[in-house]
Amino acid sequence: MQLNESTYETIFLLYIDNELSPKERLEVEAFIADNPSYALEMEALKATVLSSDKIQYPFKENLKLQSEISLDGMGEDWEEDLKATYATMLKSDVEAIPGLSTSFKNSLKKETASEAIIVKSFGFNQQKFTYAAVAACLIIFFGYQQLTKSSVSDLAKSNSIATNLNKVLAPNISPITTTKSTGSSENIVSNSNKQARVNSINPVTKTSQLATTKLQVSNSTKTQRSNLLQQESIAMAETTPNNSVLDNQAAMKEIPRTYNNPITINATPLAVSTANIDAESTVDEKGLTTYEVIDTEDPNRTIYIANFEIDGNKFRGITRRVSAFLKRNKSDKEK
Amino acid sequence: MTDKAYNECVDNFADGVYRFIVKNIRHTEDAQDIVQSAFEKLWVNRAQVLPEKAKSYLFTVAYHQMIDHIRKSNKMPLVDEASIPHQPINQAQTELKALLMRAVNELNPTQKSLVLLKDYEGYSYQEIAEIMNLSDSQVKVYLHRARIILKNKLSAYAPTAS
Repeated sequence: MQLNESTYETIFLLYIDNELSPKERLEVEAFIADNPSYALEMEALKATVLSSDKIQYPFKENLKLQSEISLDGMGEDWEEDLKATYATMLKSDVEAIPGLSTSFKNSLKKETASEAIIVKSFGFNQQKFTYAAVAACLIIFFGYQQLTKSSVSDLAKSNSIATNLNKVLAPNISPITTTKSTGSSENIVSNSNKQARVNSINPVTKTSQLATTKLQVSNSTKTQRSNLLQQESIAMAETTPNNSVLDNQAAMKEIPRTYNNPITINATPLAVSTANIDAESTVDEKGLTTYEVIDTEDPNRTIYIANFEIDGNKFRGITRRVSAFLKRNKSDKEK
Repeated sequence: MTDKAYNECVDNFADGVYRFIVKNIRHTEDAQDIVQSAFEKLWVNRAQVLPEKAKSYLFTVAYHQMIDHIRKSNKMPLVDEASIPHQPINQAQTELKALLMRAVNELNPTQKSLVLLKDYEGYSYQEIAEIMNLSDSQVKVYLHRARIILKNKLSAYAPTAS
């Protein structure tokens, strides 16, 4: 370190900032002793040093941790001790609760008290649960039976129509008796009447009707079907090329009067089917959309779920019973 | 850092941090808030802070929060110095101190912080450099400039005071 005219200020500043080694400090002090003119300079620089100023932070205690929880004295099994303490507290608290039965208090005091509390809190004992399970099984069983019964009856109707159609179609292959043809025509007419009743609300062709017609066609042989379709499509094209559904149904109502003519009888349902398909496709091509109007207030309304026909009254009875059971259960639970 | 060590930090460093901040911004409530925030940060990060580095950590956090505060307020409103508690000293010392503080308050924030950290806390250049995010040479140069300014100001005030 060389103290001279040009370096003294920097070294003096390092001196007052206490950044010099003890040896260097001694050198500076010796320099000042040798050159008293620099003493004033040193004093002026020393005057720039701030003296210690005691200022206290007023909220020191607020910064500290107010309560220190120490687990040092609790040992290694502090968790078990805590559980035991809690269990003792719980038992004493249970005893203090007024109006609790002794058996319930004892159940609370058991080790499995938490499970007992959960079961009790639902208000649902084992007996009630058994009743509910049996009721649910019965509902499912009878509901399924009801559904299958209605679907089977539908299928039976379709099959009867198909069988009769086969019999009606038979004259092309084998002759049939008038009696049989009359029966078949009656079946078809009764079915068409039923459909006409539905269609009195809904003028649009029902899907089930089309399905029935298709089933009739599928039950006959392919050769018969193709031949008849050709014949009847030609015949219908000449007479009524754009029959509506209602016209077809009116034509079907005329079947009993024309049953003596086997060709007419055979032709009508098939003509209806082809005309229906044509009519529906025409509607689709034209882009017209019609919607079915359902009378929801009608008590005799038939409910369709997929292909199943459900009796509305019976279905309502089932839902009423289920809702009554649930309400009863809820009131028991509230009690 | 344990809970006990944290409480020791509060005992040992809260006053110093508060003095450093309150001398810089000269606003007691804001200074208290900054100190509280600094200790809150120390508590949150106590697992990462070594006890021997706690003081430096506290000053670093407090300094940066102070800088943020100064930038936000963009002004350094003067408060009555009497609101800052002082220990009683004699008249001559009071006058000299007042003059010096007046000179210090006229320094720019960086120079002021350098002087306060050096004189009040006795930090080395290296430690100040770490706290203020400066290099050692920058600390040395800035602090020397601040001392020269203070010396000149004091010599300028002296005839007026006398």
